[in-house]
Amino acid sequence: MDFMLKLTLYVYCAAIVAYIVREVWRAKSMRWVAFGVLSSGFILNTILVLTRWSEAHHAPMSDKFESFVFFAWSIALVYLIFELVTIFIVKVHESRIGIIGALQCVLVAWMICSALQADSTIKELPPALQSNWLVTHVICYFLSYSALSMSFSAAIVYLIHRWIFSGKQKVAEVVESGIQLKKDYSFDKLAYIAVSIGFPFLTIGLITGSIWAKGAWGTYWGWDPKEIWSLISWLVYLTYMHLPLMLPKTNIKKSFRPILLSIILLIAFPIVLFTFMGLHKLPTSADSDHIYAE
Amino acid sequence: MSKAAIPQVKKVKNNSKTWEILCSVRLAVIIIVIMAVSCVLGTVILQQKSPEEYAARYGAGLAKFFAAIQFTDIFHSYWFSFLLVLLCVNLGCCTVKRWRNKVLMIGFLVTHISIILILIGCVVDLLTGVKGGVNIYEGKSVDYYLTRPDYKKNPLGFQVFCDDFLIEKHPPKYKLIAYVKDKDKQKAVPAKVGKRNSVSGTNYAVTVKDFIEDAEIQQEPINVSDVPNNPALYIQLSEKGNVTAEGWLLAKDRNWYSDTQRDLKIDYVWADNAEKHEKLANAAGKSTKPKLDITIEGKNIVKSVPVEKGKKFSIDGTDFIIEIKNFALDYSKRLVPLSEQEPNNPAVMVEISGPQGKDSRWSFSKYPDYQDKAHQVIYKDVKLLCSVPENFSDAKHRVRIVQNKSGKKTISYIKNEEVISINDWELNKSYNVADSELEIRVIKYFPSHGLKKSVVKRVGGHEGHNHGPGEHAGNPAVLIEMEGPRGKVAEWVFAHTPPHWYPDNNFAVLYEKSGMEIKDYKSILRVVENGKTMVTKTIEVNNALKYKGFVFYQSSYDPEGERYTGLQVTKNPGLLVVYTGFIMLCIGIVFIFYVKPFLRRKLKKGKKIEEYYSEEEMLAEHIE
Ligand code: HEM
Repeated sequence: MDFMLKLTLYVYCAAIVAYIVREVWRAKSMRWVAFGVLSSGFILNTILVLTRWSEAHHAPMSDKFESFVFFAWSIALVYLIFELVTIFIVKVHESRIGIIGALQCVLVAWMICSALQADSTIKELPPALQSNWLVTHVICYFLSYSALSMSFSAAIVYLIHRWIFSGKQKVAEVVESGIQLKKDYSFDKLAYIAVSIGFPFLTIGLITGSIWAKGAWGTYWGWDPKEIWSLISWLVYLTYMHLPLMLPKTNIKKSFRPILLSIILLIAFPIVLFTFMGLHKLPTSADSDHIYAE
Repeated sequence: MSKAAIPQVKKVKNNSKTWEILCSVRLAVIIIVIMAVSCVLGTVILQQKSPEEYAARYGAGLAKFFAAIQFTDIFHSYWFSFLLVLLCVNLGCCTVKRWRNKVLMIGFLVTHISIILILIGCVVDLLTGVKGGVNIYEGKSVDYYLTRPDYKKNPLGFQVFCDDFLIEKHPPKYKLIAYVKDKDKQKAVPAKVGKRNSVSGTNYAVTVKDFIEDAEIQQEPINVSDVPNNPALYIQLSEKGNVTAEGWLLAKDRNWYSDTQRDLKIDYVWADNAEKHEKLANAAGKSTKPKLDITIEGKNIVKSVPVEKGKKFSIDGTDFIIEIKNFALDYSKRLVPLSEQEPNNPAVMVEISGPQGKDSRWSFSKYPDYQDKAHQVIYKDVKLLCSVPENFSDAKHRVRIVQNKSGKKTISYIKNEEVISINDWELNKSYNVADSELEIRVIKYFPSHGLKKSVVKRVGGHEGHNHGPGEHAGNPAVLIEMEGPRGKVAEWVFAHTPPHWYPDNNFAVLYEKSGMEIKDYKSILRVVENGKTMVTKTIEVNNALKYKGFVFYQSSYDPEGERYTGLQVTKNPGLLVVYTGFIMLCIGIVFIFYVKPFLRRKLKKGKKIEEYYSEEEMLAEHIE
């Protein structure tokens, strides 16, 4: 298992490099190389998830180790689907989506790295986790988190682009050669699409979690730190969704609006990650039932 | 008329302004952001603690401030409730205002209404619901529950019996935890044979070489040298050709064996020279008797008498008459014959007769100051001390094996304290214990005996030892090889023992249980109302009992035994509303993000973008 995990990590690291090369080089063949490397990492990751599933006799998402591996898997999955969609359905070939790929691979590699540090022994599930809601709830959350991580990467890229081209923007508009440039700018649109995929799953995850808590503990909402922080993540994305309706009625400059939205995404995803794995740092976490046992 | 008309216009205008505000997204965003921030505060600041705790943690001033603005219980504070009400109003108003009778608006309507429903349901639960708990002892019943968090007793209106409470356990699993001290690094690894686990960032590693599921340490005597430092004999006792007992006798340690059934005691002594040998071989019979020292405080009288049941002594210079009523080699077994007792807790029972009547008491040789509460003590100035010699025995037949440095070895047979015979003995020859059918044989002789410890699989003989039958889960052990700067060391490590350190004291391995042991806990509950059993159900986590609006959840258990079951008791009249809200929210949100875009494309095929998007929708959905 350890060996497989390390191998997966190396393949994902190779995928980071491949995506960066693809960005710089921009050859069509390179795009498939990068896609291939990431796919093979994904296949290894799938094997990891499946072997764990059969060894542990429960869905492999109950402790830290399992969640890290599963999260890596779902991030890779969502990104690969996304890339296939852009190639075959939207038919965008020459966009700079590869840079998002590189960022997603970094996140995936980080997750596998964390899994390597975590306690990988198989643990029996405590009674409360022996529920079918666990699977629904956790899968919703991880799919959502994966999509939201893409919105985070897109927001980063968008802001960097804006920063690089901040002086040249006018020139580009004047010259009308801005088709490529415009595509690159539309990373904020991409971020929005990612959120619009992730947000419903986030909502459903919150609801299924609540129903599950009712079944197991008798309260659908108990103001537990984990519950509160998932609510916070949800509220931040809710703000992101409603803000475009409000901004035209304020005197914020039109060109600044997407920047503001991207900044919100930049804040939002770390909150999500904190909800996922940082809660034991809170002073109130001592009384919580939800936090993964160390 | 005009005078009256002006304020009216103003009023309408005013109204519409508040209405505008209540409908606005700006208010929505503000509320959402404030809620998010309060949520953060609610997890960063400790909630629902005592005022003292706040003062200790944040200082008196800040603690007072927090209490004043209800930061100590944010989620039940007035301002948070106000925020939620405002959110509801805002949602309601905007939904009413923006509603247009269009298919594409369904999602917007459904989600917003669902959130209102959820919040209303929560309020209904908060006002009319019940949240509490109760513990029921096995076989007992309750007709009340305690509310949370203030633990007030409330009647249920019926009785709930806990007929049985069961805990199911997983077979335990084990893991190794490798710890490197100077780097403060810890790594948990599965205890699987054959895998080398290195601790990353250090040059330590641990490999599991072998594993025994249920191990024990076996100590096997071996001979260390031919100089008689610690002599040992392996003897065998047989009766009519059948071996009845065998084992090691160690001259300097456990040097006797007593067979209470046959009233026989065998001992093994080592003599330094021939003279002593002679003495030991012959003196065996006169085993020293236990003795009792009587001290009368303040009078400087000390008297020592042998302990013999029924003997009476008068003490010179006093009026006391002392009678030895009873003697036990083992107080806890004082009712069984003396010859079957081992000298674990020797005690003598003495009756002292004197001017103030009779005073009888037990005196313990190992606990001279202990006063047996069952017997009165009248003569506090009389102190008793009973002492029992190490080799005291009450056995009728005695066999004494003596050896000395010059090689002489004898076996003496003593009956009723008289030496009957003394013979030389040889290895592997049988000797009759005179006038009985017993034979004794010395099988091995180790001049200097040592113990070789080895870890082996445990075989039988432990059922019912410290646990009920069938519950024995084994005591696993792993043979681990630790690698580090000082090379490899391999050693057996048992589960649940202290960490095992590498020679440089910087690397340790712990072998312990991993994960949750409890598989499930269940209670069989029975609801009885007016003397009639209404429902019986086995509840467990994720499977509750419902009766008359109350729901009983399995939530905890007695951690120190399985004496009671811990139940969560709830009543959620608003649950239906909340769940309706949940379902609507799911439907609405799926509609908005997954159905609406496709639906719109279908509805407005062939039209220009500007024609089928409102300006706001374009903003909301980032359409350029
Ligand atoms: C999952 C939750 C929510 C979803 C999916 C959602 C969705 C939407 C959508 C799609 C619109 C635009 C309607 C249109 O097409 O014209 C909208 C508007 C609005 N939403 Fe939400 N909403 C949610 C929660 C909330 C919450 C919690 C509030 C809090 C107060 C809120 C306040 C508003 C307001 C005030 C508008 C009206 C904007 C205007 O009048 O211009 N929404 N919402």
